[in-house]
Amino acid sequence: MAFFSRAIQHVLVAFVSALLLYPLYILFLISFSPVEFTLGSLRPLQWPGGFTLQNLVQAIQGTNLVDPTMRSLMTASLVGVITLLFGIPAAYGLSKLPNNLSNMISALLFLVNMIPALVIAIPISVSFITLHLYNTILGLALAQGLVALPFTIFLLLGAFQSLPKDLENQARVDGAGMLRTLYTLLVPLSKSAVAAAFLISWMLSWDEFTFAVILSPINPTLPIIIYTNITRGNILASSSFALVLTLPVVILTIMLQRYLKGEYLSGGLHG
Amino acid sequence: MRWKESYSPLLLVTPAVAYILYFSLYPTFTAVFESFQTPFASNTLSNYQGLVFLGLGNAIANTLVVSFGALAFQFFLAFIIAGLLAREFIGKRAFMTITILPWGVATIVASFIFSNIFTVSDGYMNSFLQLFGLPSVNWYSNFSSKILLLILSDSWKNTPIVAMILLAGMTGISRELYNAAAIDGAGPVRRFFYVTLPNLRNFILIALVIRGISEFNIFALPLVLVGYNPPFLATLAYEFYSTTSSIYYSYAASTILLAVVLVFALVALKLRRIA
Repeated sequence: MAFFSRAIQHVLVAFVSALLLYPLYILFLISFSPVEFTLGSLRPLQWPGGFTLQNLVQAIQGTNLVDPTMRSLMTASLVGVITLLFGIPAAYGLSKLPNNLSNMISALLFLVNMIPALVIAIPISVSFITLHLYNTILGLALAQGLVALPFTIFLLLGAFQSLPKDLENQARVDGAGMLRTLYTLLVPLSKSAVAAAFLISWMLSWDEFTFAVILSPINPTLPIIIYTNITRGNILASSSFALVLTLPVVILTIMLQRYLKGEYLSGGLHG
Repeated sequence: MRWKESYSPLLLVTPAVAYILYFSLYPTFTAVFESFQTPFASNTLSNYQGLVFLGLGNAIANTLVVSFGALAFQFFLAFIIAGLLAREFIGKRAFMTITILPWGVATIVASFIFSNIFTVSDGYMNSFLQLFGLPSVNWYSNFSSKILLLILSDSWKNTPIVAMILLAGMTGISRELYNAAAIDGAGPVRRFFYVTLPNLRNFILIALVIRGISEFNIFALPLVLVGYNPPFLATLAYEFYSTTSSIYYSYAASTILLAVVLVFALVALKLRRIA
């Protein structure tokens, strides 16, 4: 499958890598270089003019970073829990259902996933006010769970289907019910996929903007704090918050790489 | 017992399906229904008529232009990346990691970074151009350059998922097909058009549906980079929501957004069936 000659291959790899890394590099420059080399300059330097923690310190002192961070952490963790709570049984159920039925449900999940977040968020915000879920972590997590759940289900479905059928049959013969088989046998056997599903849901919530800006504007999460700081012109504070938001995600992306395959990302549209 | 065996899995699926339906279909119906109401009248098109007057046509056109522009650019880059990753080379794992990284970066962070790369006069793109003695560009001086910078900024974060889906398809194509084509004298370009593309058809459509749908929803990026002008469907809906002038207008704008998404998905799925 050689589309490119060796030499062109190397050049392209280097060029594309540089292109993809450049924006992240800029984030680090703005965060860690003295401001006179970055935002304060008519010609911002393309390389570090020096190293400073002053920008971060100022941002932490000037704005409340702790509350949004805690709120983001809690919301994201709750989203992870919600998606596993609903996703594990659903994925197992789908793997057991007759094909036509499970395809129908998968199609439904996919269809629902297509509905724009804004279309859902605006009416929800109105009903959340009466339900006392507006500006709450639980309310936001319930809404963001919608984004993560289909992905979780398809990832876990793949994991459950890859386990040998005999194991499960053996447990059933030994008298274990469906739920027991699922939670004492299948889940422990697929624990890395379950962990990946949790972390990816966590990440989707951690990054999420649309639901957060509409459903929890008064108790903002990190992405919303970044947005309000940008609109107020606090670029240095924004860059510090952006860094705080991005570092865990970069680490998680590297860790979870092998689960971020086209098959899962395409949300079960195969077949 | 038999009944239980085949339908008790349904009980396991039900909570998830109920949750999703309750939190998505119910609000969606509300939005569509309310878009035809006003405080003074029901079952009326007046919200839509008002929106047309306030730039709905532009918002639709801008959304479509940026979406299809970004899709074209993302597919172009993604084909290159997937083509590189389809073969073994030293540093492939590192390249794979670099490729997937932007996927994890929050849209708001990407928007923030690009707002510092593309600025009116003194951003990183301009200082980069100056390194080569090129003149500065005001990236916000006219409509086309705003559209262009939105397409470029959006593609950074969203090319990885397209590349990963195309790669999943490419690794499924048997080597023998390429070898046979090569023996028949087909060069790399012809192999791409006559072997890769036809065999990738379904994967291309999947990536097109997934990316296309989120492209139409483009929201945080234009909000940060260009504000409400030029308008997009999502920013228009949000503008009416957040300025509290009329929530019914924002329902109408979201309904149009939903319609655009549905039409696109139906066309793409139809194409898939034909394939």
